[in-house]
Amino acid sequence: MIGRGLPGGRRLDLVVLGCALALAALGVLFVASATGGTRFEGLAGRQAIWVAVGLGAMIAAILFDYRVLLKFSFAIYCASLLPLVYLLAFGERIANVRSWIRVGHFQFQPAELAKIATALLVAYLFENEDDARLHASTIFKLGAIVGTPALLVFLQPDMGLVMTFLPLVFVGLFFGGLPARGWVAIGVIVVLFAGGGWFLLKDYQKARIGTFLNPDTDVLGSGYQVRQSKIAVGSGGFSGKGFRGGTQSQLRFLPVQHTDFILAVIAEEWGFLGVILVLGLFAGLFLRALKLAQTARDRGGVFLILGLTGMIFFSVMINASMMIGLAPTTGIPLPFVSYGGSSVATAFLAIGLILGVEYRRFANA
Amino acid sequence: MLRIREDRQALARRIEVSRVAVGTVLSLLAVAYWTVQIVRGEYYFSLSENNRIRAVKITAPRGYVLDRNGATLVENEPAYTLHLYRREAKDLNASVDFIVDLLGLSGERVASRVERGRKEPEFVPIPIAENLGIEEVAAVQARAAEHPEFAITVSQRRLYKHGGSAAHALGYLSEATPEQIKNAGNVYRVGDWIGQKGVESAYERLLSGASGERRVIVDSHGREVAEEARLEASPGQNLFLTLDLELQGIAEEYFRDKVGSVVALDPRSGEILALVSSPSYDPNWFTRRVTSSEWNGLLANPDRPLQNRAIQNMYSPGSVIKPFLAYGALARGLVDPEARIFCPGHAVFYGREFHCHKKGGHGLVNLRDAIKMSCDVYFYTLGQRLGVDRIHEILTSFGFGGPTGVDLSFEKSGLVPSEDWARSRRGARWYPSETISVAIGQGPLLVTPMQMARALAGLLEGGRLPTPHLFYSSQDPRTGSQLRYKAEFHDAIALAPEKLAVVEDGMWAVVNEPGGTAYGSRVEGVEMGGKTGTAQVVGKETTVRAGADKSKLKDHAWFAGFGPVKDPLMVVVVFVENGGHGNLAAAPLAKALFEARFGVVPKTPPVPAVRAEAPASPGLERAARREAP
Repeated sequence: MIGRGLPGGRRLDLVVLGCALALAALGVLFVASATGGTRFEGLAGRQAIWVAVGLGAMIAAILFDYRVLLKFSFAIYCASLLPLVYLLAFGERIANVRSWIRVGHFQFQPAELAKIATALLVAYLFENEDDARLHASTIFKLGAIVGTPALLVFLQPDMGLVMTFLPLVFVGLFFGGLPARGWVAIGVIVVLFAGGGWFLLKDYQKARIGTFLNPDTDVLGSGYQVRQSKIAVGSGGFSGKGFRGGTQSQLRFLPVQHTDFILAVIAEEWGFLGVILVLGLFAGLFLRALKLAQTARDRGGVFLILGLTGMIFFSVMINASMMIGLAPTTGIPLPFVSYGGSSVATAFLAIGLILGVEYRRFANA
Repeated sequence: MLRIREDRQALARRIEVSRVAVGTVLSLLAVAYWTVQIVRGEYYFSLSENNRIRAVKITAPRGYVLDRNGATLVENEPAYTLHLYRREAKDLNASVDFIVDLLGLSGERVASRVERGRKEPEFVPIPIAENLGIEEVAAVQARAAEHPEFAITVSQRRLYKHGGSAAHALGYLSEATPEQIKNAGNVYRVGDWIGQKGVESAYERLLSGASGERRVIVDSHGREVAEEARLEASPGQNLFLTLDLELQGIAEEYFRDKVGSVVALDPRSGEILALVSSPSYDPNWFTRRVTSSEWNGLLANPDRPLQNRAIQNMYSPGSVIKPFLAYGALARGLVDPEARIFCPGHAVFYGREFHCHKKGGHGLVNLRDAIKMSCDVYFYTLGQRLGVDRIHEILTSFGFGGPTGVDLSFEKSGLVPSEDWARSRRGARWYPSETISVAIGQGPLLVTPMQMARALAGLLEGGRLPTPHLFYSSQDPRTGSQLRYKAEFHDAIALAPEKLAVVEDGMWAVVNEPGGTAYGSRVEGVEMGGKTGTAQVVGKETTVRAGADKSKLKDHAWFAGFGPVKDPLMVVVVFVENGGHGNLAAAPLAKALFEARFGVVPKTPPVPAVRAEAPASPGLERAARREAP
């Protein structure tokens, strides 16, 4: 077992920590590459600061007893919803959505914190609902807990963020033990609602999904991003064009390359090897975190790890698929790597909580 | 508090399943990336190269056009265009106001151009004003620090140094039409300049050279980031023309207030020494993008300045045709040169009375006298003897009725009638009385001045018809190596020298003997021969078209001259529309040209309007032009 025993039975898992740090380092490096010589120059430094902030939050989360957090998770959850309500009422639109709170020079997405709080409350729910079989009331509570922040984010409206809440439902249902007929029922409901939900989507969201289904219809509009991203990824070949040598990224053919499309930059400049490195680091992080879930000392800790890992995994899966046109461009960043303070900081906060469970595996307190 | 229930085992199993699922999903993603990056990598690599590389054409400097003595007729000058870069502009309206004030432009026009430019991507500069003067360029550059959004680009523009001089020989440049682009094999793109008419068109490929190409790396906004490769353009060849700018100037000055044309040829080679079509136009108009009012003015002008009268207008030759018919009759033994015919001033043929131009008649005239005095009755008789088909044979052997092959486009062929022509083309049979008219150059017979010059050259050269041409030589501006024109001939007929001598003697007498129709135009120091002609302007349409303008009903004046008579070095054909009599309206110019070229008497001083040297500064020159209405 990799990990280090600390005095007093405390344990720190170095695999999870190492993978997260390596990914963050790659992020800073490629944000520097993607923004060099543009008006965004200097964002790499900012990103490094955010990584440091995230590491601080991570250490705090490790040291602070997650059991206390679970106990007060409902209060934390409610508190995290307040900024979302505030945004809906008074938020200023940035890029057409009200999902940012601006403090001085910095912008922050409160929904990112709400995701952590929601994961805490879901873990708390399943700590108490621990029957072998999943009750309908539990499903209802789960739906309410995840649905409330998701709805608030939906109204902002930020579809990408809404989607990142969904894995919590899945985690609850799957690990809570939903039987096969339950999955069938959910499938039917999803299909029915998807039809209705189409009418609730904004035009540009519909366009994106339409473009995803048929990318050649709109080469210069929504299809442009996917096309340019695929060109970037594909032209990287096996070993890439070299750091800062990507023509797609350095000549700005890639859209939002330092945020959502950072993986395309890595794929172009470091090639397939770079992609394998990133996917490998994530694989290490996820598989190790799931191992930690298996060995967690209590059910709350298990579900906390599962919820957080599930959310990060989901983002990685969607983001990596987006680059090569396997998923619609939904504005989901690549955790740890993409530029973005809230995204990086909360990712590390989540890692802190996961490590915190392991930290107290043999603790008595 | 610790709470572990039985389902912990089930949960552990599910987590194991999820680990497999996570591993599978990430592996599938890796496979997907493999497909994109390795399997289809080359395809996407080529797409990324296409993205970043643009080919930018380097226009080759167009070759100069010079006269036979090396005087520059056409060159290139820098043209300054003002562009607005929107990205640099803080406040577009303020920028527009500034430039309108600074250069005194029309605010409306600038605003509409900016409005049009806004539809383009932001990085595309908006052209605001073309052809800036040097002072305006300086004014804009002086304010460059405060107004970085304005930039001036320099391009090469064609400059016809002598304005409308020799315009019909030179042609002009204008933007290539879609048809021209297609015909040239898509070497040209929309907006490229191409030669139209004249030598600019005929020698387009020589003059234009080969354009080069820069392969530049651009960013996603199309901005140039770096240059990757460069293929230099190879400049166009300089073109020396056969024209003599001095003779050209004299001829143009003579035609300043006349309508018509002049062709001066070297009969030995076909080199065109002077080519005038009046009225003319300034080819510089086209290079500065003609305004629609200027263009309409050109088109509406009843005298059609764009038409090259020397090759595009067909006229009755009048008496100028007589020497050719005389030679034809001699050669065929149909006339004894010494036999005299009595001219009472009129004669009856086929029941119709025909008049001689001299009321009282010429009395008894032989062939030589008939040419010298241009006796119509003599040639009526000759024509009757020849018949229209023999006339057709004679005249076509001198090149009438077909193109001369001059290196200019849109040449007309003229018309030499025959019985066959009357039946098949005209649809009305040939009347013998028409032959009588044709014998003095009237009737359906039509010729161009260029044909006349070439035919006369062929007559003087014993039947060797030269192909008239403007191309003297081309010169590679880099190596200086020259390519000379090789004279071409059309060996139509072998003329009998002793019979030719009779005709030439008659043409000598026209100018040099008292009683000759052009006696007043004899030249001191060099013997010039020639033949006058006066073509009647007849036909109902002409009368109707002329309307109230009676001057349009006046006869056309011809003179075809050559000299020195013993060894002809120059043929001159002068045609003055509605000029009246050839001896008065046309012959004096031929005299002036021969005096200038061969004469011992004082040469005509250069004519300032045409010969003026271009000012040293293109800016000043342009400013001066702009003041002119």
